[in-house]
Amino acid sequence: MTLLTSACAVANSDTAGDAGSADGRTLRVVLTQEPPTLEPCESSLTATGVVVRSNITEPLVEREPSTGKLQPLLSTGWRQTEPTTWTFDIRSGVNFQNGQPFTAEDAVFSIDRAVNSDLACNVDGYVFGDEKLEVRAVSPTRLTVTTEKADPILPLRLSFVEIVPRTTSTKAKVRIPVGTGPYAVTSWQTGVSISLARNEKYWGKAPAYPRARYVWRSDASVRAAMIDKGEADIAMALDPMDATGDNSVAYPNNETTALRLDGREAPLNDIRVRKAIGMAIDRQGIADALLGGLAKPAAQLVPPGVVGHNDNLTPTPYDVSAARALVEQAAADGVPVHRRITLVARNGQFAGIAEVAEALQYEMAKVGLNVRIRMADTATHLQYQLRPLPRGVGPVALLIMHGNQAGDAAFTTSQYLLSDGPQSTFGTQELNRRIAAADTRSGKDRQKAFASVLAHQNTEVAQYAYLAHMRGLLGLSPSVRYRPDSATGDEMRLSEVRPATAGRH
Amino acid sequence: MGFFLRKRVVSSAIPLVFVVLGVFCLARLTGNPVDLYLPLSATAQQRAEFSAAHGFDDSIAVQLWDYLAGAAHLDFGTSLRTGESAGSMVLQAFPVTLQLAGVTMLLAILGALVVGSLAAYRPNSLVDRIAGLLSMTAASIPDFWFAIMGVLVFGVGLDLLPTSGTLGGPEIWVLPIATLLIRPFGVLVQVVRGSMVGALSAPYVKVARSKGADAKRVVFGHALRNSATPVLTVAGDLTVGLVNGAVVVETIFGWPGIGKLMIDSILQRDFAVLQAAVLLTAVTIFALNILVDVCHALIDPRVRQAVPA
Repeated sequence: MTLLTSACAVANSDTAGDAGSADGRTLRVVLTQEPPTLEPCESSLTATGVVVRSNITEPLVEREPSTGKLQPLLSTGWRQTEPTTWTFDIRSGVNFQNGQPFTAEDAVFSIDRAVNSDLACNVDGYVFGDEKLEVRAVSPTRLTVTTEKADPILPLRLSFVEIVPRTTSTKAKVRIPVGTGPYAVTSWQTGVSISLARNEKYWGKAPAYPRARYVWRSDASVRAAMIDKGEADIAMALDPMDATGDNSVAYPNNETTALRLDGREAPLNDIRVRKAIGMAIDRQGIADALLGGLAKPAAQLVPPGVVGHNDNLTPTPYDVSAARALVEQAAADGVPVHRRITLVARNGQFAGIAEVAEALQYEMAKVGLNVRIRMADTATHLQYQLRPLPRGVGPVALLIMHGNQAGDAAFTTSQYLLSDGPQSTFGTQELNRRIAAADTRSGKDRQKAFASVLAHQNTEVAQYAYLAHMRGLLGLSPSVRYRPDSATGDEMRLSEVRPATAGRH
Repeated sequence: MGFFLRKRVVSSAIPLVFVVLGVFCLARLTGNPVDLYLPLSATAQQRAEFSAAHGFDDSIAVQLWDYLAGAAHLDFGTSLRTGESAGSMVLQAFPVTLQLAGVTMLLAILGALVVGSLAAYRPNSLVDRIAGLLSMTAASIPDFWFAIMGVLVFGVGLDLLPTSGTLGGPEIWVLPIATLLIRPFGVLVQVVRGSMVGALSAPYVKVARSKGADAKRVVFGHALRNSATPVLTVAGDLTVGLVNGAVVVETIFGWPGIGKLMIDSILQRDFAVLQAAVLLTAVTIFALNILVDVCHALIDPRVRQAVPA
C-alpha cells in the first residue's frame, strides 16, 4: 500500500506537466539526463555544470565565450602581483542565497575546498591537475592565490571554481548547493524535476523569469516534441533529424571529434599508417551525410576561439590513393598493416556515432587496413581513454570527443598530447618540451607557442586523425529569446533568457 | 495446499539466490568504477583511497559478505552517483514501475479475454481474422517505435496527449500504458484464442450447448475457466517482464522507474543501487511466481494433486 501510495504521489501530484505550465513566468528547460549532483565542485561535469554554473553559484571571474576574454564576476579585478602570486579584489555588497554576506574568506574557502581538499572534486583534476594552491584572505575584500610555478592562466582556471559559503561541508560533497547566483534551488524531486526560484536579493541584474524548472528526457525525439508542443522552452542537444528551423538553433559547442591512434602498437606505431588514416577520412562527406551538415572538418583538437588554435592548419585532404600508397610503403618495410585494429566508440556520445564509426571502418579498410568496431558504454570507453591504458587489446583507434570549454590549449595538450598525458597513448620528448615551454607564456606569445605545438603534433607525431569541430542543436520555443554560444552546453545562463514579448515579470 | 506452497517457495528461492549472487559477481567483473567517479588526473593515491572507501579493494568474497551482512539489516549501501541510500532510491523507483505494470496487465488480460474469446467462438470468421491480424501486429511492433510514434502523432500532431512526464492528470498515463500494453495484449489474445478454441470443442461444451446453454454462458461459464491455465502462465511471464523494468517506456516518457534506474546504475557502475534493485525485483518476481502457482492450483485441482505428499 505504501508503494502504491507513493507511486500515485509521483504520478498525480501536479496538473501542469513535469516542466510546469506555459504561464510565461516559469522557464522550462529539458535536459538530456538528471544531474547526478548539484555539488559546485563537480560543475566541470556537463550534467551538473549546466544547471549550477552562473545560475545557482558563481565564480570569481567568468570567461566570455565568444571572445575568450575574462570578465569580472564576484571578483572586480585581478593582477599578477608576483611571478607566482595573483591578487583578486572581491565584490562587496554580495550575499549568498542563505543571507550570509560574501567575503574574501568565502572565496578562500571555496578554492581550498575545490582544489586542496580530499573531496576529489572533478574540477580539481580537470582544471588544476596536480597543482596545489596557497590561498590567503589578506582583507575582507582581497585574496591572494599563490602557485608552485608561475601560472599565467590562473584566473582562467579559477573561472571554474564556484564560490560557496564557508559553512559548506568540507567532509562530504553537497547535493544541493547555496551560492550567490541569480537563482536558488527550491526543490529537487528525484527522477522528476529540479525547481529554481529567482534570488530576489541577487547583486546583479535580476533575471526575467521568476522561476525555472528542469526536467530530463534521454530521448532526443521527445525533447524536440516537447518544444514543438510547447511543453518546454529550451531543450538541450537535439538530433539533426528531429530539428527544424522552427524549433532549434545550431551553435558551436567547442567539441572536437577525432580518432586517437595508439602509437605503441603495430601497425599504428608507424607514422605513415597514422597519416594514411588521416588521409583516408572523407570529413566533409561524414559531416554532410552523418552529422546533419552541422560539423566542420577539423585539422586540430582545438577549435577557433580557443587560445592556441592554429589558423594555418587545414584539414588533411581526402586522398585514398595517397593513403593506400603510404600503407603499401609501410607494408613493404615490414609493418604488419593487416593486423586488426579495434575502432572503439562510445554509444550515444553524439548523434550518429555508430554510423560514423562504420564509415571510418569502411574508409580505413579501403586503404588496406583491417578494422573492427567495438561500441562501448561510457565506463568501458573510459578504460580505453584513460591511463593506465588497457593491456593486451592490440592496436586501438579510439573515437574521442574532446571538449574545449576551458578555452585554452593548455588543457588539451596536458591531457591529450603529452607523452604521459592522462588521455594520451604516446608522444615525443620534443613535443613535451614545446608544451612545457608554451605553458609558461602569456598573451600573444602563448597563442603562437600553442599553435606551433598543434602544428608539430600533426607533422611529427600524428597521434590523432581529426574528424570535425562539432556544432550542437538547442531546442528553442518561439516564446523565448536566447542566443546559445559555445558555453551553452556546459553552462546555460538562465538570466540571459528573455521572454519573446520582452516584458519583465 | 500448505505442502504445495512450501515446495514452490523452496524451488523458487533457489534461482533467487543465484540471481542475486550472479549479479553481484558479474557487476564486479566489469571493473572498478573509479574512472567514472574520480577526476581524469586523479592520483594513484586518490584512486586507492576511493577503492578502499567503497570496499572495492577487498576480495569479492569479503565484498559479498559485507553486502549480505548489510542486506540482513536492510542496509544496501550508498549510491556512488548520488550519495543517497541505495535502498531508498530503489524504493522510490519501484512503485512507479509496479503501478505501470499492474495497470498494463489488468487491461491486457481483460482485453485479451474479451477479444480472444470472441475470436475463438467462431474460428475463421471475420472477427477471428481481424483479431488475429491485430494481435499479430500488436505482438510484433517494436515498443520504442510505437512510443515515439505515439508521441509524434498523439502528442504533437493531434495535440491530444502530453508527450511525456509523470505529473498531470489521467492523460499522462495513456501513452506509457498503451506502449506497454500493446505486446502483452497481442500475445494474450493469441493465447486466449488458442486455448478457447480447444476448450470450445471439448465434449463438456458440446454437452452444455446440447442442453441449450446460451453462448455467453458457454464461453464465459464453461470454456473460459478451463482454458485459463495457459493464459495465467503466459500472463505471469509477461508481468514478470514488466516488473523487471519497463525500460523503454521509462526512458522515453521520463518515468523514474526501476528499469531506468537499473540501466543507469549499470552504465554508471553504481553497484549498490544495481544490487538493491535486482534484489527487490527478484523478490517481487519470486512472489509473483508463487502467486501464479497458487492460482494454478486453485483453478486446476490436478496441479495440487500432482505434488506428492
